[in-house]
Amino acid sequence: MCVGVPMKIVEIDYPMAVAEAKGVRRTISLMLLPENEVRVGDYVMVHVGNAIEKIDREAADEIWKALDEVLEVLDREEED
Amino acid sequence: MKEKVKEIVQAIKKLTPKKRKIKIMNVCGSHEHTITYYGLRSLMPENLELVPGPGCPVCVCSESDVINAIELSKRPDTILVTYGDMLRVPTRIGSIRSNGGNYRMVTAPHEVIKIAEENQNKLVVFFSIGFETTTAPTAAMIEAGIPENVKILTSQKLTPEIMEVLMNDSKVGVDAFIAPGHVSAIVGSNAWRIFPEKYGIPTVVAGFEPQNLLLAILRILYQIAEGRAEIENVYRGVVKPEGNRKAQGLMYKYFYKTAVNWRGIGYIPNSGLEIRPEYSEIDAKVFFELPEIEEEKVPGCICDRIVLGKAYPNECKLFSVACTPRNPKGPCMVSVEGACNIWYRFGRNER
Repeated sequence: MCVGVPMKIVEIDYPMAVAEAKGVRRTISLMLLPENEVRVGDYVMVHVGNAIEKIDREAADEIWKALDEVLEVLDREEED
Repeated sequence: MKEKVKEIVQAIKKLTPKKRKIKIMNVCGSHEHTITYYGLRSLMPENLELVPGPGCPVCVCSESDVINAIELSKRPDTILVTYGDMLRVPTRIGSIRSNGGNYRMVTAPHEVIKIAEENQNKLVVFFSIGFETTTAPTAAMIEAGIPENVKILTSQKLTPEIMEVLMNDSKVGVDAFIAPGHVSAIVGSNAWRIFPEKYGIPTVVAGFEPQNLLLAILRILYQIAEGRAEIENVYRGVVKPEGNRKAQGLMYKYFYKTAVNWRGIGYIPNSGLEIRPEYSEIDAKVFFELPEIEEEKVPGCICDRIVLGKAYPNECKLFSVACTPRNPKGPCMVSVEGACNIWYRFGRNER
């Protein structure tokens, strides 16, 4: 549940937004970030569908690299 | 990357004091996952222990809250909505799933709104469980506006408060904390200040990659070697000292700190968040007049001791014999963040 996923914001209709990671798009909430601080193209850490913090692209890439393997395992387990 | 890891591991070995045991506790299921999955324990010196603490919110939801959720799911006029991990948590009357009531799984609080709009003739109860990382999103959902047929059943816990309980328990004997990365994004790295300042415990905020966790361990050992106790943050890309102020504001707009019931542990003062009385119309506990049910422990299960870092999963007689992820007897085996579940899947060959 506490697995956070970095995503890139592609559309904003505050407080909701569409964000993308690895080609997968998801509706997320931006309510936990001030409206004037988020723009299309920003990277955010997403947790249970909510952007909890803005992050830079490098941080996003680094975290994604490490997450790939972990998420694969978790997905497999949850299907069981 | 490999070279870097080797370098850090060598430094860890060099810095670990030879003459005494060092116990470093993580308080996050995802940290425990990384430690176990990548076999980080096998890289540590013999006298350096990496112990999982209270990092699994599903594991500490009181039996009473889960039973109330089950009962609500069985009413003809309600739909119970919660995160996937909660559906299989065992109680004396079974799990939400095994009771076969009316329940739905969500991966984000805002999905609750859609379910409520599509089922206007039903009361949709969101079982909001978790630490700060899920409580803030629940507050965000309320702030965005919820339909009248949405009620919220809270089982929301606070991380710093349970860690302080551990400090005051002589049986735990923690030398340092690895603080959870995403909880810290909400509460801020400064939220852990009490541990170095009041208890002299080095506390380092870490992310979830193995290298980042190893770096956190190294920073802790530097502090111990130099006789310092401070907050450090090796997850800087995500965590700020003050945390996410807006998230904190929303959490405390709708919720207040109070004593809550931890499974197997009991009531701990100021360790959870309940809905403020001024919003009681959305509070399922008030609306349905839910009872507080005294816990019945699962015979043989030592989940409560595992959550507090007093025992490892393989010290439980039920572990991997009577209790498995497919047939969990205790809550720590259910959630993918539970120490027993993680050890069952990846950790059986740990030293």
